[in-house]
Amino acid sequence: MDTKDQQSESVSPGVMLPDTTLVPTILTPDTGTYPIEGDQKKKSTSPLQDSLRRLRRDKRAMVSIGVIVFFIVLALIGPPIYQHVGGPYQSSVNGVVGPSQYHSFSYEELGQNTQDQLPSAHNWLGTDEIGRDILARLMQGVLISLAVALVVELVDIALGVLIGVLAGYYGGWIDQLLARFTDLMFAFPGLLFVILIAGIFGNWADIHLSKIPVVGPNGNARLLLVSLALAFTTWPLMARYVRGQTLQLKEQQFIEAARSSGTSSWGIIIRHIIPNLFSLVIVVATLDISNTIIGEAGISFLGLGVQAPGSSIGLMIAAGSQQILAGHFWEVLVPCCVLAAIVLAFSFLGDGLRDAFDPKSKD
Amino acid sequence: MLQFLTKRLIGLLFVILGVTFLTFIMGYFAPGDPIVQLLGQHFSRAEYLQLKHAYGLDLPWYQQYYNFLKHLVQFDFGYSYQYKNRAVWDILKDGVPISAELGLWALLIQVLVGVPLGIFSALKANSWLDTTNMGVMLAIYAVPVFVLGVLVQVAIVWLDQHVGFGWPAANWGNAWSYSWSDIQFKLFPILVYAATGVAYFARLSRTSMLEVLRQDYVRTARAKGMTERVVVYRHAFGNILIPIITYLGYAISFLVAGAFFIELIFNIPGIADITLSSIQNLDYPVIQATTVLLAVVVVLGNLLADILYTVVDPRIKVS
Repeated sequence: MDTKDQQSESVSPGVMLPDTTLVPTILTPDTGTYPIEGDQKKKSTSPLQDSLRRLRRDKRAMVSIGVIVFFIVLALIGPPIYQHVGGPYQSSVNGVVGPSQYHSFSYEELGQNTQDQLPSAHNWLGTDEIGRDILARLMQGVLISLAVALVVELVDIALGVLIGVLAGYYGGWIDQLLARFTDLMFAFPGLLFVILIAGIFGNWADIHLSKIPVVGPNGNARLLLVSLALAFTTWPLMARYVRGQTLQLKEQQFIEAARSSGTSSWGIIIRHIIPNLFSLVIVVATLDISNTIIGEAGISFLGLGVQAPGSSIGLMIAAGSQQILAGHFWEVLVPCCVLAAIVLAFSFLGDGLRDAFDPKSKD
Repeated sequence: MLQFLTKRLIGLLFVILGVTFLTFIMGYFAPGDPIVQLLGQHFSRAEYLQLKHAYGLDLPWYQQYYNFLKHLVQFDFGYSYQYKNRAVWDILKDGVPISAELGLWALLIQVLVGVPLGIFSALKANSWLDTTNMGVMLAIYAVPVFVLGVLVQVAIVWLDQHVGFGWPAANWGNAWSYSWSDIQFKLFPILVYAATGVAYFARLSRTSMLEVLRQDYVRTARAKGMTERVVVYRHAFGNILIPIITYLGYAISFLVAGAFFIELIFNIPGIADITLSSIQNLDYPVIQATTVLLAVVVVLGNLLADILYTVVDPRIKVS
């Protein structure tokens, strides 16, 4: 990588620098083509580098990345910091409480000055109808959204790529099965399926899955069900895209060359087809993330996802919407705006990635 | 054409069968014994067995599924677990017209507002009108329907409290009647319900229109000296209908999912609302009936799209 470093810096310092950090070697199967001493000045960029340069020029996508990174950082390191901000105070109900308590997402306090408060130095985004800190709940909710999105996308990519490649490469019964199954999942509204799973098996999950450490407690047990159900409804679309791309790829000459030089089918799939699916999978997965986040928030909004002591953006919107008639608009506006921001950021990023990876859009 | 429709019909029948099997198997494996729930705390074993037999739950699963299908074909959804001796259809029959009304209005608005907005945008491509329009549409499309619903509700309540708007923030009037108070109840829920689809149809018809306007036959039509009006509405419009019809099936499927949120937020006693409350009560016969009903709606929507294809696409008529 050293020669590449120097080379790209010499061409356009500053602008090209991040490239080397962003290009992992697994993505460029043609690593044999490092520039030789002679054409130091000629710039030879891989398709991926081209795409990333296009992406960096897309202001909307870059702002979206900023927003996404902000929320990831907020969800991960926000709570521990927030729980050290502020001093202890004498609560009328619970005695002396410190910030590690009243800035946690599950601390409730009923009282004249603790319920339905607007933002203050004490509760940065105010409190909700039973005196819980809105910022703390929000950070936990964002964490839940992102965690569910991560799990669902991992399952989605694994299943979608595996089945899609097999269906596209081999055709036959697995292709037929995939086609029928996707038809079924398209006709059966995805969210309805998740609602049914979460609704019917929710109580069972509350009882049996809540013993699992880390993911179980705080009313999050149902999220396992919700995540699996969401993944179950999203993978057919991924598989269909992957299948289409595989069908195109397997007719191309480099595959033919690989086959005629004796590469096995598995070798071709793993070494030549899957690496070429990278851009497609990234774009589809990014766009799916916003659907997944909406799905989880929606299920929690209906009361079928995260349960009471726990927090989720959807749950916060549901609780806040009960306070609209009382005139406490703040409590519902905050989670609504945050959800909209996250979802828009992932959609814009997905759009930007799609444009950047599109070989037709040559600058 | 007949061949095309038969092929699609067989595909849709398979889908219906798959959906019924999924809903049946979910109810079959669902935790908890509905009979115990029905009987309460004190019951004898004979009573238990008798009731289990009455609901047909002592049969093996394939026989239960067969009975389930047989009754479905006869439009017999069985009896509720929650309300003893109350037929499922009796519970559903008030909700169905309300949800149908909500959905049909929303679909109508989606097509009649979304498509013209998209065409308008395409004709003014890259002007400030186009960019603003598409920016707004993108935002509406991306924001989840329950966020839109809640925001609209906040706006109504704020106007009520501060301006004296006097508009109801929730509930539904009488189904299929349109006095002023009914309209007040129905206007905003329908608009919110339609919003996502309006945005999608607008974006879709803009892209399709722009693509069609780049085609050679449009250039030919212009070269012949056709007015812009004739070019757009006679030559181009027919060709953007195909992607729009393709999306129609998906639009209905999104509407079915959206019903759960709209009916919850605006407190509308439709079929999604009934489904949610029967999920709370684990009343499986009702859940199964509503699921199958909603899936049939989606399948019929797809069938409608297929039939419309044969109308607008002459290639299908010929083959």
